Order: sequence, then structure tokens, then C-alpha cells
Amino acid sequence: MSKTFDRSAGIIFLLIGLLFVIESQRISESSYGSEVGPDIFPIGLGSILILLSARLLYETFRYEAGTKNEGPVKYKKFFIIFSSAVLYAALLEPLGYVITTFLFLVIAFQTMESGKWLQTLVIATAFSFGVYYLFAEFLGGSLPGFPEF
Amino acid sequence: MSTLQFLMDGFSIAFQWQNILFAFVGVLIGTAVGVLPGIGPMSGVALLIPVTATITSGMPTEAAAASSIILLAGVYYGAMYGGSTTSILLNTPGESSSVVTTLDGYQMARQGRAGAALSIAAIGSFAAGIVSLIGLVLLAEPLSNVALQFGPAEYFSLMLLGLAAVSGLAGKSMTKALMMTVFGLMLGTIGIDAVSGIARFTYDLPILYSGLEFLTIAVGLFALGEVFKTILEREHEDGTIAKIGRILPTRQDLKESAKPIMRGSLLGFFIGVLPGAGATLASFFSYIAEKKFSKTPEKFGTGAIAGVAGPESANNAASGGAMIPLLTLGIPGSGTTAILMGALIMYNIQPGPLLFDDHPEVAWGLIASMFVGNLMLLILNMPLVKVFAKIIETPKKYLLPIIIAISFFGVYAVQYTTFDLLLLLACGILGYLLVKNDFPVAPLVLALVLGPMIENNLRRALTISNGEFMIFFTKPLSLILLIVAAAWLLIPLMLKLKGRTIVLNEED
Repeated sequence: MSKTFDRSAGIIFLLIGLLFVIESQRISESSYGSEVGPDIFPIGLGSILILLSARLLYETFRYEAGTKNEGPVKYKKFFIIFSSAVLYAALLEPLGYVITTFLFLVIAFQTMESGKWLQTLVIATAFSFGVYYLFAEFLGGSLPGFPEF
Repeated sequence: MSTLQFLMDGFSIAFQWQNILFAFVGVLIGTAVGVLPGIGPMSGVALLIPVTATITSGMPTEAAAASSIILLAGVYYGAMYGGSTTSILLNTPGESSSVVTTLDGYQMARQGRAGAALSIAAIGSFAAGIVSLIGLVLLAEPLSNVALQFGPAEYFSLMLLGLAAVSGLAGKSMTKALMMTVFGLMLGTIGIDAVSGIARFTYDLPILYSGLEFLTIAVGLFALGEVFKTILEREHEDGTIAKIGRILPTRQDLKESAKPIMRGSLLGFFIGVLPGAGATLASFFSYIAEKKFSKTPEKFGTGAIAGVAGPESANNAASGGAMIPLLTLGIPGSGTTAILMGALIMYNIQPGPLLFDDHPEVAWGLIASMFVGNLMLLILNMPLVKVFAKIIETPKKYLLPIIIAISFFGVYAVQYTTFDLLLLLACGILGYLLVKNDFPVAPLVLALVLGPMIENNLRRALTISNGEFMIFFTKPLSLILLIVAAAWLLIPLMLKLKGRTIVLNEED
């Protein structure tokens, strides 16, 4: 348990709850003819979240900071894979499924462990083409396969 | 028509060739999902939804829904079989519900009895599957008849009970679990309000009008969260896999495990029926119970076969039991059943008391197919266990990127938006951070699914009573449900104050 994380999470969720309550006031009046409008539920939830977050913040002052022996965290590896995943998401529509999937897998495989290029290329090709043809051609699903020129 | 007649009709649906195939594919993938660490039944089911949706797209709606749910449920209980394999052979549970199996299962493997442990786990799971199905058949009618009496107030209280149960048992801190529940409910309010048609929290972004897709959030929080964790923190390569050896159990093994299997099945089934308690809890309880019943409790932890047979039966029975609240009340009790429910709703089939009247082929077809699926699993898991054990050896460096790619495919093929892919990645990070800091994510997903229904019933009840909140307390059934819900939250709290540790319930 990390005290700092719990504290910041408490503050963030407190703000989310507050935001919810404030923003709920802006929900337009219902024409539904009931006293129970669309804003009741969000306001209630926001208030409960505020109370719970306050409770969490209070708790963080009571327990001792946990000593968790954490192993080395591989930020670099994660950062490369995560940013290529973001690119994968952004380019999937313009470049099509096959190309982006292939590139993403090649980058991710090589980031996980470099070398063995043949295996990397074979698996990435098989997966990207295999999924596309099985899904789009054989099963008739729709997926943007290749870039449209 | 009598229950038996319905069941027979169900079998005629389950025995259609395409449904046999669907059940087979489901349990096969389920076993693989169970064996692979890092991908649990929840993400497995979620990822297969687009694939089943595409395969069944040509069929009439009801047949399509029946076939899909047969496959998806197969993944769910198949994973319960597969989860034991890694526990026994590698000492790493494939699912949280197989954690206790490592205690005696791995010890048995070290003594060269891995084959016996695996086959007892499969036999126990099979027996449990059958027990839970008999329970399902017997309880389905009466329960849905009771549920038909429910008004909005009762439904609201019942769903509150479901959420209270999940939050009360999940994770180390109840405050955090409740926060996650409320946060999930809040996310569920984004989009067009179903009652009044007014857009809430959409900020004029068209993509938000239909709300956040629970599939995206579930896959992100569970599958990607786990993948990110493994990428960031993988400390060591997995240990060596134990040799399987002789598969068939000895007569002595069978004799020693017969009673634990029966006890585990019954216990697991009833725990599974309770909303919120899941397969993990069932297996923990069964292990504790077996240790109590045993004449030689000191043998537990050193390779007692009862320590494998009981919990493995219990977790499978619980997954069958968990179908009951889903099918009869329309209330999912766990993360995975919440996803199954989402799949049914996609086909415009509302689980609940009317399911058995409106769509008998879906309900009974599913129940009958679970008989068929369990039989397949028994056959698959006995001779083919060595093949499945090979799946464990899939190197992580290929597995992890492929799980990311499958998640992308799964989400994009259903949603067709880049927004959902980015939401998926964001949920992955969120899932990693939350789980790492003991914020349980299962209540969040469950709340997201239940949120709109809870709000709907809340508002209908309040409209009936002219805004008077007392309606929830004056209706006797609703009051009882609320009291149980409160007890569910307060009792663990009180036990904690007394300094007792409480069994954790994680993803199942």
C-alpha cells in the first residue's frame, strides 16, 4: 500500500465527486413530469464519493506506511510498448488493420526481447494476416484491412 | 410445460450441430484461458464477444444469442478447469480461484503425482458442474417466479445488495472497494439518460452519447492492466514444469476424494449463488472445510488429494451457481457474469425472471449446453492435459504483445472507433495503478453494468411514491434485502475490528 498514491487518489476522487455534483446542477430540467429528475442519481453518487474519499484520506493518516519491496520497474520497455500502442490506436483507421498490427507486434516483440528476427516476423505476419483474413474474409466481419488510396 | 419438458427442449437446442461446435470451441478456449496466466475468464469472455457476434450474425436473433452465450459460458467454466493446471504443475495459479490448489496440488506434483492431481481436479470439476446444473434446473423456475413479484423498489434493493456483496468482500480496504463501486456507477451515468432522454456529462461530444462501453472498460482494466503489470514488473522467468506422469488416479485417490468432491460441489454452488461471493471464495472455504473434516489435517499442505479435490470442485460449482442470479434475477454477481449479461443485452435479450418465459431456448439451451460442455471438458482434460500443459510454455515476450493486439481487435471489431481504443489504453493504465494499490476493479465493472438499471428502478420507485424514499423500507421484501445488504458491509467491518483477516475475493 502506498500512502502517497492513496492520498492523491483520495484527493482526485474527491475532486471527481465534487465535479459530478456541480456539473449535475447543469443537467437540464426534465419534461418527464416527475420530481425525480435525471440529476438526482448523479448528485447522490457524487456526494457519496466525496464522503468515501474523505474517509480514505483520513485512513491514510492512520496506518503506517507499508514497506513493500518492489523489484526494478522496467519503465523504458513499458514506455516503448505503450507509445507504440497509442500509435497503433491512432493509425489503425488510416493505415488499416494488417499493417498497423504487424508493425506493432514487431516493435513490441523486439522490445520485450531483441533478436530472433525470423520468429518475430513470422509470428507478426501470421497474426496480422491471419486475424484479418479469418475475421474479415472468412467470417464476414468488417475491419479496415489496408489503407485506402 | 413442466421443467423437464423445458430441459428436453434445451437439450434439443444444445445438440444442434452448430451449438455442439460452439460449446466445444468455448470450453477449448476457456481451458487455454485458464492455463495462461495473465488472461482470466473475464477478459477471455470479453475478448470473444466480437468474434461470436460476427460468427452468429447470419442467424435469427434468438438462435444467435443462444449460440453466443453457449460459447461464452463455455469459456467461463472451461477456465475453471484450466486454472488448476498451472497451479499443480507450476505452483502459479492461472486464476485467482485456483490459488488454494497450489497448496497441495504442487506438493503432489513434486511427489510425482501430478497426473493424479490433474485428473482428480478434472473429475471433481465435472461432478461439480453436474451438481450445479441440477441446482440450476431445480432453482430456476421457483426463483424466477419469486422475482416476478418484484417491483422497482425490490429490484433496486436487490441490486444494491449485489453491489454491497461485491464491495464487502473485495480487496483489503472496504473504503476503496466502495469508492470503486460508486465510481463505476458514476461512469454508468454518462450518456443519454434512458428515462428522460437528456444527455448527461457528454459535453456535446457525440461519441459519449451512447455512454462508455463496458466491454472496453472491462478489457482495459483486467486484460491490459495485467499485461502492463507483467511488462513493468516481471521479475523472473517461471520455474520448471513438473512432469505429469501417470494420469489416471489410483483407487485410493478416488476413495479419498469422493467426499471432498461432493462437499466442495454443494458448498461451491451455494456460495456461487450468493451475489458477490465467487469462485475464489468458494475454493478458500472448501479448503478450510476439508481441513476441518479430515481425520489427518496435518497432511494438508504436503500433498493431500482432498486439498485439490474439494477446492477445484467448489470453484467450478460456484461458476455454475453464479448463473442463477444472472438468469433468474437478471443480476450478475461477479465480473464475468456481468460480461455475459452484457453479451445477452447486445442481442436485445434481457436476463431476468422473464427470460425463462420470453426466451426459453436461450435459457434452457444454455443450461443443457453446460451438461454437454462439462462432459467435453472431462474428456478434453484427462487425455489432453499434457497438450494443455504445453500452453504454459508460451513465452511471455510473444504472449503479452499478442494479448494487447487481441484486445485491440476485440474492442475495435465491436465499437469501430479510435476513441474506444484510446479509452482501452487509458483503462489499462488505470487498472494497473488501481490494482497495484489495492483498489479492486471488479466492483467498478459490475457497477458500470448495473448502474443504469439501478438508476432506472430507483427513479421508477420514487415516481411511484412521489419522491418518498420510505418506499424502500415499507415494502417488506425490499426492507429485508436492504438489511442483508447492510449486514454484508457491516459484518466484515466488525470482524476486521476484532482483528480477524478476511478472505479476499479477486477477479473471477
